[in-house]
Amino acid sequence: MENAKDTFYITLRNRLSTVNPNRTMILRAVTRPGILVEEAEAPVAELPLDVFVLRWTKLDADTQLPSTLTQMTCEIQYATAGTQNNAGLDRGRALEAMDDELLRLLCPSSAQKMNYAQTPASQMGTLIFWSQAVFEPATTVRERMGRVVTVSVFAFQEQGER
Amino acid sequence: MSWDLSTQNPNDHALRLANALLRANGGTTALLQMSPATGDATDAGQLGLNTPNFQSLPLSPAVFRRIRATMKEGQPVKYELLVSAVAVQTAVSELQLSSADALFSTTASVVVGGKSFLIESVSVSESMGSVYMYRLLLRESASEWQMQQASQ
Repeated sequence: MENAKDTFYITLRNRLSTVNPNRTMILRAVTRPGILVEEAEAPVAELPLDVFVLRWTKLDADTQLPSTLTQMTCEIQYATAGTQNNAGLDRGRALEAMDDELLRLLCPSSAQKMNYAQTPASQMGTLIFWSQAVFEPATTVRERMGRVVTVSVFAFQEQGER
Repeated sequence: MSWDLSTQNPNDHALRLANALLRANGGTTALLQMSPATGDATDAGQLGLNTPNFQSLPLSPAVFRRIRATMKEGQPVKYELLVSAVAVQTAVSELQLSSADALFSTTASVVVGGKSFLIESVSVSESMGSVYMYRLLLRESASEWQMQQASQ
Protein backbone atom coordinates (compact mmCIF):
# COMPACT_ATOMS: atom_id res chain seq x y z
CA MET A 1 0.00 0.00 0.00
CA GLU A 2 2.88 2.34 0.72
CA ASN A 3 4.07 1.98 -2.85
CA ALA A 4 0.65 3.05 -4.15
CA LYS A 5 0.56 6.05 -1.80
CA ASP A 6 4.11 7.04 -2.72
CA THR A 7 3.38 6.68 -6.44
CA PHE A 8 0.23 8.78 -6.18
CA TYR A 9 2.10 11.62 -4.45
CA ILE A 10 5.12 11.58 -6.77
CA THR A 11 2.84 11.48 -9.84
CA LEU A 12 0.87 14.49 -8.68
CA ARG A 13 4.02 16.34 -7.66
CA ASN A 14 5.68 15.79 -11.03
CA ARG A 15 2.52 16.85 -12.85
CA LEU A 16 2.25 19.99 -10.70
CA SER A 17 5.74 21.10 -11.71
CA THR A 18 4.49 21.03 -15.32
CA VAL A 19 0.96 22.38 -14.79
CA ASN A 20 2.07 25.31 -12.63
CA PRO A 21 5.84 25.61 -12.17
CA ASN A 22 5.29 28.73 -10.05
CA ARG A 23 3.44 26.87 -7.32
CA THR A 24 6.43 26.10 -5.13
CA MET A 25 7.16 26.13 -1.43
CA ILE A 26 10.21 25.98 0.79
CA LEU A 27 9.97 23.09 3.18
CA ARG A 28 12.83 21.79 5.31
CA ALA A 29 15.26 24.02 3.39
CA VAL A 30 14.23 22.61 0.01
CA THR A 31 12.32 24.46 -2.70
CA ARG A 32 9.88 22.00 -4.19
CA PRO A 33 6.46 21.90 -5.90
CA GLY A 34 3.64 23.03 -3.64
CA ILE A 35 2.30 19.64 -2.67
CA LEU A 36 3.09 17.51 0.36
CA VAL A 37 2.03 14.39 2.20
CA GLU A 38 0.85 15.43 5.64
CA GLU A 39 1.98 12.23 7.37
CA ALA A 40 5.51 12.55 5.96
CA GLU A 41 6.14 16.05 7.32
CA ALA A 42 6.42 17.56 10.78
CA PRO A 43 3.02 18.26 12.36
CA VAL A 44 1.91 21.88 12.14
CA ALA A 45 -0.74 23.94 13.94
CA GLU A 46 -2.19 25.21 10.67
CA LEU A 47 -1.80 23.82 7.17
CA PRO A 48 0.22 26.04 4.82
CA LEU A 49 -1.58 28.26 2.33
CA ASP A 50 -1.49 27.82 -1.46
CA VAL A 51 -0.22 24.26 -1.14
CA PHE A 52 -1.92 20.92 -1.80
CA VAL A 53 -1.84 18.69 1.28
CA LEU A 54 -2.47 14.96 0.87
CA ARG A 55 -4.07 13.21 3.84
CA TRP A 56 -4.65 9.47 3.70
CA THR A 57 -7.77 8.36 5.54
CA LYS A 58 -9.91 5.28 4.76
CA LEU A 59 -8.66 1.91 3.66
CA ASP A 60 -10.66 -0.96 2.15
CA ALA A 61 -9.43 -4.24 0.74
CA ASP A 62 -11.18 -6.67 -1.59
CA THR A 63 -9.64 -10.06 -0.87
CA GLN A 64 -12.07 -12.03 -3.07
CA LEU A 65 -10.02 -11.32 -6.20
CA PRO A 66 -6.98 -13.36 -7.31
CA SER A 67 -4.88 -10.42 -6.16
CA THR A 68 -5.98 -8.19 -3.26
CA LEU A 69 -7.37 -4.88 -4.46
CA THR A 70 -6.90 -2.04 -2.00
CA GLN A 71 -8.90 1.15 -2.02
CA MET A 72 -7.40 4.06 -0.14
CA THR A 73 -9.09 7.38 0.35
CA CYS A 74 -6.96 10.46 -0.15
CA GLU A 75 -8.22 13.83 1.06
CA ILE A 76 -6.51 16.63 -0.78
CA GLN A 77 -6.78 19.80 1.27
CA TYR A 78 -5.88 23.28 0.14
CA ALA A 79 -6.56 26.82 1.22
CA THR A 80 -5.65 30.30 0.10
CA ALA A 81 -5.89 33.84 1.37
CA GLY A 82 -5.40 35.38 -2.08
CA THR A 83 -2.42 37.51 -2.97
CA GLN A 84 -0.83 40.43 -1.14
CA ASN A 85 -1.08 42.63 -4.25
CA ASN A 86 -4.85 42.32 -4.24
CA ALA A 87 -5.12 42.49 -0.45
CA GLY A 88 -6.70 39.06 -0.47
CA LEU A 89 -9.71 40.17 -2.51
CA ASP A 90 -8.75 37.63 -5.16
CA ARG A 91 -8.97 34.65 -2.79
CA GLY A 92 -11.98 33.27 -4.65
CA ARG A 93 -10.07 33.40 -7.89
CA ALA A 94 -6.99 31.88 -6.26
CA LEU A 95 -9.08 28.99 -4.94
CA GLU A 96 -10.65 28.45 -8.35
CA ALA A 97 -7.14 28.37 -9.88
CA MET A 98 -6.17 25.63 -7.41
CA ASP A 99 -9.38 23.71 -8.23
CA ASP A 100 -8.45 23.85 -11.91
CA GLU A 101 -4.84 22.82 -11.25
CA LEU A 102 -5.99 19.85 -9.18
CA LEU A 103 -8.33 18.66 -11.93
CA ARG A 104 -5.39 18.76 -14.32
CA LEU A 105 -3.11 16.95 -11.86
CA LEU A 106 -5.59 14.11 -11.53
CA CYS A 107 -5.88 13.54 -15.26
CA PRO A 108 -5.04 10.93 -16.58
CA SER A 109 -6.29 8.92 -13.64
CA SER A 110 -3.66 6.19 -13.56
CA ALA A 111 0.08 5.74 -13.15
CA GLN A 112 2.65 2.97 -13.18
CA LYS A 113 3.22 1.76 -9.63
CA MET A 114 6.77 2.40 -8.45
CA ASN A 115 8.81 1.31 -5.46
CA TYR A 116 10.49 4.41 -4.04
CA ALA A 117 11.94 2.53 -1.05
CA GLN A 118 14.69 1.38 -3.42
CA THR A 119 17.34 3.61 -4.94
CA PRO A 120 16.89 4.12 -7.82
CA ALA A 121 13.12 3.68 -7.72
CA SER A 122 11.99 0.53 -9.50
CA GLN A 123 8.96 0.00 -11.67
CA MET A 124 6.42 -2.53 -10.42
CA GLY A 125 4.14 -4.81 -12.39
CA THR A 126 0.77 -3.06 -12.01
CA LEU A 127 -0.82 0.34 -12.28
CA ILE A 128 -2.49 2.42 -9.65
CA PHE A 129 -5.69 4.19 -10.67
CA TRP A 130 -8.07 6.58 -9.02
CA SER A 131 -11.67 7.73 -9.06
CA GLN A 132 -13.04 11.09 -10.12
CA ALA A 133 -12.43 13.85 -7.63
CA VAL A 134 -15.28 14.72 -5.26
CA PHE A 135 -15.11 18.44 -4.45
CA GLU A 136 -16.52 19.43 -1.05
CA PRO A 137 -18.05 22.89 -0.66
CA ALA A 138 -15.51 25.64 -0.06
CA THR A 139 -15.12 26.70 3.55
CA THR A 140 -14.14 30.11 4.86
CA VAL A 141 -12.26 30.60 8.11
CA ARG A 142 -11.49 34.28 8.59
CA GLU A 143 -9.41 35.26 5.54
CA ARG A 144 -8.70 31.67 4.47
CA MET A 145 -10.81 29.97 1.82
CA GLY A 146 -10.26 26.29 1.51
CA ARG A 147 -11.58 23.07 0.12
CA VAL A 148 -11.25 19.33 0.61
CA VAL A 149 -11.26 17.05 -2.42
CA THR A 150 -11.64 13.32 -1.98
CA VAL A 151 -10.15 10.75 -4.33
CA SER A 152 -10.24 6.96 -4.03
CA VAL A 153 -6.95 5.39 -5.07
CA PHE A 154 -6.98 1.72 -6.12
CA ALA A 155 -4.01 -0.61 -6.31
CA PHE A 156 -3.42 -4.34 -6.59
CA GLN A 157 -1.16 -5.86 -3.97
CA GLU A 158 1.72 -7.52 -5.74
CA GLN A 159 3.48 -10.60 -4.47
CA GLY A 160 5.83 -9.81 -1.62
CA GLU A 161 4.49 -6.29 -1.34
CA ARG A 162 3.52 -4.93 2.08
CA MET B 1 -4.89 61.05 12.11
CA SER B 2 -1.39 62.20 12.90
CA TRP B 3 2.05 60.68 13.26
CA ASP B 4 3.67 60.34 16.66
CA LEU B 5 6.63 62.71 16.37
CA SER B 6 7.67 62.64 20.01
CA THR B 7 11.34 62.00 20.68
CA GLN B 8 12.19 58.48 21.75
CA ASN B 9 15.61 57.25 22.74
CA PRO B 10 15.57 53.52 22.32
CA ASN B 11 18.12 51.63 24.35
CA ASP B 12 18.58 48.04 25.34
CA HIS B 13 17.35 48.33 28.92
CA ALA B 14 14.18 46.31 28.18
CA LEU B 15 16.28 43.66 26.52
CA ARG B 16 18.62 43.38 29.49
CA LEU B 17 15.75 43.46 31.96
CA ALA B 18 13.96 40.65 30.10
CA ASN B 19 17.17 38.62 30.08
CA ALA B 20 17.65 39.09 33.82
CA LEU B 21 14.03 38.27 34.64
CA LEU B 22 14.01 35.17 32.46
CA ARG B 23 17.21 33.96 34.13
CA ALA B 24 15.87 34.67 37.60
CA ASN B 25 12.51 32.99 36.95
CA GLY B 26 13.61 29.57 35.90
CA GLY B 27 16.18 30.28 33.22
CA THR B 28 15.92 27.08 31.26
CA THR B 29 17.17 26.18 27.77
CA ALA B 30 14.87 25.25 24.93
CA LEU B 31 16.10 23.35 21.89
CA LEU B 32 14.58 24.18 18.51
CA GLN B 33 14.56 21.20 16.18
CA MET B 34 15.65 22.67 12.84
CA SER B 35 16.07 21.04 9.47
CA PRO B 36 19.66 21.08 8.23
CA ALA B 37 20.77 24.00 6.04
CA THR B 38 21.06 21.66 3.08
CA GLY B 39 17.72 19.91 2.89
CA ASP B 40 16.93 16.47 1.56
CA ALA B 41 15.65 17.01 -1.98
CA THR B 42 15.25 13.34 -2.82
CA ASP B 43 11.93 11.55 -3.36
CA ALA B 44 12.62 9.40 -0.31
CA GLY B 45 13.06 12.55 1.78
CA GLN B 46 9.57 13.73 0.82
CA LEU B 47 7.97 10.34 1.46
CA GLY B 48 9.11 9.91 5.05
CA LEU B 49 11.68 7.26 4.15
CA ASN B 50 14.82 9.19 5.04
CA THR B 51 15.63 10.45 8.52
CA PRO B 52 15.20 14.24 8.59
CA ASN B 53 18.42 14.81 10.60
CA PHE B 54 16.95 17.69 12.56
CA GLN B 55 19.55 19.76 14.36
CA SER B 56 19.11 21.16 17.84
CA LEU B 57 19.44 24.90 18.24
CA PRO B 58 19.61 26.00 21.90
CA LEU B 59 17.78 29.13 23.04
CA SER B 60 18.36 30.56 26.51
CA PRO B 61 17.42 32.12 28.83
CA ALA B 62 13.84 30.94 28.54
CA VAL B 63 10.97 30.33 30.93
CA PHE B 64 8.67 27.41 30.37
CA ARG B 65 5.29 27.14 32.07
CA ARG B 66 1.90 25.54 31.75
CA ILE B 67 -0.79 28.03 30.77
CA ARG B 68 -3.82 26.00 31.76
CA ALA B 69 -4.27 24.10 34.98
CA THR B 70 -7.37 22.17 33.92
CA MET B 71 -7.21 19.53 31.21
CA LYS B 72 -10.00 18.43 28.90
CA GLU B 73 -10.20 14.85 27.79
CA GLY B 74 -8.45 14.31 24.48
CA GLN B 75 -7.01 17.81 24.46
CA PRO B 76 -3.24 18.16 24.71
CA VAL B 77 -1.98 20.42 27.48
CA LYS B 78 -0.74 23.81 26.35
CA TYR B 79 2.37 25.56 27.57
CA GLU B 80 4.13 28.78 26.90
CA LEU B 81 7.76 29.46 26.41
CA LEU B 82 9.10 32.94 27.03
CA VAL B 83 12.39 33.42 25.22
CA SER B 84 14.82 36.29 25.36
CA ALA B 85 14.99 38.30 22.13
CA VAL B 86 18.80 38.29 22.43
CA ALA B 87 18.82 34.50 22.09
CA VAL B 88 16.43 34.63 19.13
CA GLN B 89 18.43 37.35 17.38
CA THR B 90 21.62 35.34 17.86
CA ALA B 91 19.98 32.26 16.35
CA VAL B 92 18.57 34.25 13.42
CA SER B 93 21.96 35.70 12.52
CA GLU B 94 23.71 32.36 13.11
CA LEU B 95 21.44 30.66 10.59
CA GLN B 96 21.44 33.70 8.26
CA LEU B 97 17.66 33.90 8.25
CA SER B 98 15.64 36.97 7.35
CA SER B 99 13.60 37.19 10.56
CA ALA B 100 12.50 35.49 13.75
CA ASP B 101 9.29 34.49 11.94
CA ALA B 102 11.40 32.54 9.45
CA LEU B 103 13.19 30.87 12.35
CA PHE B 104 10.00 29.72 14.05
CA SER B 105 8.25 28.72 10.83
CA THR B 106 11.13 26.39 9.94
CA THR B 107 11.15 24.83 13.40
CA ALA B 108 9.78 21.28 13.45
CA SER B 109 9.37 21.14 17.23
CA VAL B 110 10.73 22.50 20.49
CA VAL B 111 12.36 20.31 23.12
CA VAL B 112 12.28 21.38 26.76
CA GLY B 113 13.44 19.08 29.52
CA GLY B 114 13.66 16.14 27.13
CA LYS B 115 10.01 16.47 25.99
CA SER B 116 8.87 17.53 22.57
CA PHE B 117 6.36 20.32 21.93
CA LEU B 118 4.81 21.83 18.81
CA ILE B 119 4.59 25.58 18.21
CA GLU B 120 0.97 26.78 17.96
CA SER B 121 1.63 30.51 17.71
CA VAL B 122 4.25 33.15 18.34
CA SER B 123 3.80 36.63 19.79
CA VAL B 124 6.23 39.33 20.84
CA SER B 125 6.63 41.92 23.57
CA GLU B 126 8.07 45.24 22.45
CA SER B 127 9.46 48.35 24.02
CA MET B 128 9.84 51.44 21.85
CA GLY B 129 9.48 49.38 18.73
CA SER B 130 12.13 46.80 19.49
CA VAL B 131 11.32 43.26 20.56
CA TYR B 132 12.67 42.18 23.93
CA MET B 133 10.87 38.85 24.40
CA TYR B 134 9.16 36.18 22.32
CA ARG B 135 6.21 34.19 23.64
CA LEU B 136 5.69 30.79 22.04
CA LEU B 137 2.43 28.98 22.63
CA LEU B 138 3.30 25.27 22.69
CA ARG B 139 1.23 22.13 22.46
CA GLU B 140 2.39 18.90 24.05
CA SER B 141 3.47 16.46 21.38
CA ALA B 142 1.57 13.17 21.37
CA SER B 143 4.78 11.23 20.93
CA GLU B 144 6.56 10.15 24.09
CA TRP B 145 10.05 10.15 22.60
CA GLN B 146 12.93 10.79 24.90
CA MET B 147 14.69 13.75 23.34
CA GLN B 148 18.16 15.09 23.93
CA GLN B 149 18.25 17.49 26.87
CA ALA B 150 20.01 20.80 26.85
CA SER B 151 23.25 20.83 28.81
CA GLN B 152 23.20 23.74 31.26
